[in-house]
Amino acid sequence: MTEDRIKVWDLPVRLCHWSFAVLVPALWWTAENSEMGWHMRLGVLLLALLVFRILWGFFGSSTARFSSFLKGPGKVFAYFRGATKMQPATIGHNPAGGWSAVLLLGAMLLQVFFGLFSGDPFDGATGPLNHVVGVMTAGAMTDRHEFFFNIVLALVALHLLAIVFYAVVKRDRLVPPMVTGSRKMPAGVAGMVGVPAWRALVCAAIAAALAYWVWSGAPGL
Amino acid sequence: MRMNRTANTILGAIVLSAGLTACGTSEEGAEATGEEVAVAEEMTVIEERQANFEGIGDAFMAIRGQLEEASPDFGVIAASAQTIDTNANKISGYFPEGTGMDSGADTEALATIWEQPEEFAAAIDRLTGASAGLVEAAASEDVEVVGAAVMNLGGACMNCHETFRLDDES
Ligand code: HEC
Repeated sequence: MTEDRIKVWDLPVRLCHWSFAVLVPALWWTAENSEMGWHMRLGVLLLALLVFRILWGFFGSSTARFSSFLKGPGKVFAYFRGATKMQPATIGHNPAGGWSAVLLLGAMLLQVFFGLFSGDPFDGATGPLNHVVGVMTAGAMTDRHEFFFNIVLALVALHLLAIVFYAVVKRDRLVPPMVTGSRKMPAGVAGMVGVPAWRALVCAAIAAALAYWVWSGAPGL
Repeated sequence: MRMNRTANTILGAIVLSAGLTACGTSEEGAEATGEEVAVAEEMTVIEERQANFEGIGDAFMAIRGQLEEASPDFGVIAASAQTIDTNANKISGYFPEGTGMDSGADTEALATIWEQPEEFAAAIDRLTGASAGLVEAAASEDVEVVGAAVMNLGGACMNCHETFRLDDES
């Protein structure tokens, strides 16, 4: 069987992915080591990347789009039933991986959301939107922010286990394509359909503006 | 070759997950193995002291929460003020030598506490004075009076944290 090297992930998807992989441990570390100044800067950076990635899920290249990889429960179960068998060769997220990606994005977004309101000015650091809620709400947000990290951690663990499962059982290495953006596929499989670069710039500008507004304490809210 | 690559990927994933697991384990565990009972005792002092401050923090939050309500519950305010006052009077006993950040323990207590003992004692006095004032104010059942006492107490927290607790905001 002949194989061709085709494009599967665009640069924005890869940059977002590896930034998440670096930022989540970094955010954990800064929180544990009383580096709240950095915790907040990195947290708002994560917010910007998450907003960008969500916009990119609507306006980005074919494999970045939610509409291309979010499948109904029927398809997901069918995929799981045949998980260890050969499946027709496709690129991008499979029906299970698509939901895992969305869950990870959603969990990180929720975690950042809690963090924005967390803290108590008489205790120490406060999130950039701490002042817009009452002291009891802020306290509840702090508790959720502390608890929900465990959920994020569980989803990350599941994600890593899936990668190991693919490597060991399915003999499919998922990490290199996420680095290089391309992989070998049987001849005839269609590659990723890209979009013009200006779209990424527009999405990045919107994400940066929103993050900056939040960082400034949401003036006008 | 192919097997080799697969092995590399597995290895990479194991290293990654091991890294994450390491993130989850507590630092206390690592430290306790190094030294003996003395260290273990310091750990409990630090934990008790932090729990004592947590109690102060939660009670202070409850009072400020009540002040945000249209009709504050002065019962809650009085009970919380009492908790703060009780805990504030325990603070001086929770800082034996060797329980600062220098010890490597998981604490935000700066060495200045033991370098400037008089100033530290004064900061505690300012707190206990303010907490006694809040207990009195709570009995007045007057929002304005309680509000002023809360501001005064908040100043006492900031005053001490500024000099004697690690600044985590930079
Ligand atoms: C006399 C000094 C002093 C005063 C006054 C003081 N604190 Fe603190 N506080 C500290 C120190 C030192 C620490 C760090 C303790 C540690 O990490 O071992 C701390 C830690 C804390 C913590 C974190 C505890 C934890 O879980 O690690 C909270 C919350 C807190 N203080 C709230 C308050 C509030 C609220 C007030 C005022 C009502 C207050 N403190 C007044 C010295 C003080």
